[in-house]
Amino acid sequence: MSQSVLGRLLRGSAVAGLLIGWMLASPMVRAGDASAGADVFKSECAECHSPKQGKNKKGPSLFGIVGRPAGSITDYNYSDALKQAHWTWTTDKLHDYLSRPAKQANPGTKMKYDGLDDAKQLEDLITYLGTLH
Amino acid sequence: MQTSLHRRTPCRPRKLHLWYGLAALPLFAAQTAHAVPAYARQTGSACADCHAGSYGPALTPYGMRFKMGGYTDTDGQGTKIPAAIQLNGTRTVPAKGQSSNLLSEADIYLAGRVTDQVGGYVKVAIANNGQNKFNTQLTDMDLRYVAKDLKLGNQQALIGVSVNNNPGFDDPVDALPAAASNGPPTVSGTLLNPSSSNTLAHRVIGASLYALLDENWYGELGTYNSLPTSMQYNLGYSLSGDPGRLSDTVYARFAYMRDFKHQFVSAGLVGLTTERQLPRSGPSEHVTDVGYDVTYQYLGNRQNIIQFAYVNIMERRRYATTPFGSVPGLVALPNGVVHDQTATLTYTFKQSYGITISHMVSTGTHDIVRFVPYGEPDTSSNSFTVFWTPFGKDDSFTSIANLKLAAEWFRFNKFNGSSDNVFGAPPGSPAVTNAKDLNAFLLFASVAF
Repeated sequence: MSQSVLGRLLRGSAVAGLLIGWMLASPMVRAGDASAGADVFKSECAECHSPKQGKNKKGPSLFGIVGRPAGSITDYNYSDALKQAHWTWTTDKLHDYLSRPAKQANPGTKMKYDGLDDAKQLEDLITYLGTLH
Repeated sequence: MQTSLHRRTPCRPRKLHLWYGLAALPLFAAQTAHAVPAYARQTGSACADCHAGSYGPALTPYGMRFKMGGYTDTDGQGTKIPAAIQLNGTRTVPAKGQSSNLLSEADIYLAGRVTDQVGGYVKVAIANNGQNKFNTQLTDMDLRYVAKDLKLGNQQALIGVSVNNNPGFDDPVDALPAAASNGPPTVSGTLLNPSSSNTLAHRVIGASLYALLDENWYGELGTYNSLPTSMQYNLGYSLSGDPGRLSDTVYARFAYMRDFKHQFVSAGLVGLTTERQLPRSGPSEHVTDVGYDVTYQYLGNRQNIIQFAYVNIMERRRYATTPFGSVPGLVALPNGVVHDQTATLTYTFKQSYGITISHMVSTGTHDIVRFVPYGEPDTSSNSFTVFWTPFGKDDSFTSIANLKLAAEWFRFNKFNGSSDNVFGAPPGSPAVTNAKDLNAFLLFASVAF
């Protein structure tokens, strides 16, 4: 392999590494499409959750959900299961939680959700949720 | 809901045993709200979450689940007053006759949850009889007890009891005539069609046990009995519409439904059988309704929603009597069959603007004695409705109240089995009525809060 080709590979790797590092360092940014995620939200979530601050429906408001400790909205009556869940809704946690039935992800939860098995839609949704600030 | 057009036609036979030949014009779905703001306040949900057009009656899958859950879902933020009000104004422009503008109806809803397991829907209508005199009626009622989150083997289950006064009104799919408020106008309709004469709707009381398995399979079994005529009268109903004395009445419903989030499909069967004495002192006739329905909804991201429903109900009758006709030698048939069919297509844009097209057909066995003047009970009609509901969405001015403006053109292709001279006026009579003379254009304004 010539030195010029090797140099190009190294430079490409460095750029890719920086890009990946920046994406991983930012908790709000996922690879998904927030606009498409808004549509996913409307079909998957909006009946039970509002994106508006302070607006609870059958489920709590999802305004500011990314980075929020679980069970922390004071005027929403959470299930005991979620009150005792000591996690923060990071994008990774949301990814894990929403990719399977809620009853598995948090046994005892009131949430009735079968999970979203379309990886692209899940990424888009989580990206959209990250914009709710 | 009855309107000034929901009237008896002039062909009322004098003999009670010919009651099947009585005709009633349709229910007008555009005026019927099932989107009760009390539910929106209770759940924190917008009207549009349960109703594609933000006003009803057609339910989204989420609305169906709310209904099956006994109207008990809540946002958990305290007790809300389980009451709402609706006011309706109507301008009616019939093809023949005087146009009218009316404050046509004021409705009071007592609707909501009592506990996590008990909830209900009760509607009291104060209806204008057309001369600015108001009649108060208890219309639809559906009181429920529900046990949720059960396990039957490995399957999730919900089991409930509904006490209601209109067979089919409690149905979750919301396609049956009683639930959709959209049965065909009939000369001789089925028991499951509230547009029929001497309908069971609101004049009976019954209870059914229902179950939802695995979120997809729905089954229901119940029974009904007619209210005493004195009670019907006290609830605002005339004695002439008494459905008669019922016995051995069984209602059954089975449906498969599947919510794909972006789409929804269902297919179901329904049955009702009873022994009926009409008049109450007379002999019994045996009536059995058997029907099927299919529905489809495209919901997508809720910007463009398409809802389609088709219902076909067949009724078999073993009549109590076989009366003689006016011509010697003519005798009514001992048995008969009628069909009520409705196909409805609705497109809703941005949960606010919509158009609904319905095709309604009621047909029956030829019987020259029972069905004057031609022996045919067949009717065929269409309705075209456009509507606008500006509120009731999460991002609208208010999500828990709404206004609906609608225009509906109702047209008849056939009535009493004929397009022309539908009431059989004698030759040369100036009072000939053709089917199209029964057409009407209606404007509705409704507000619910």
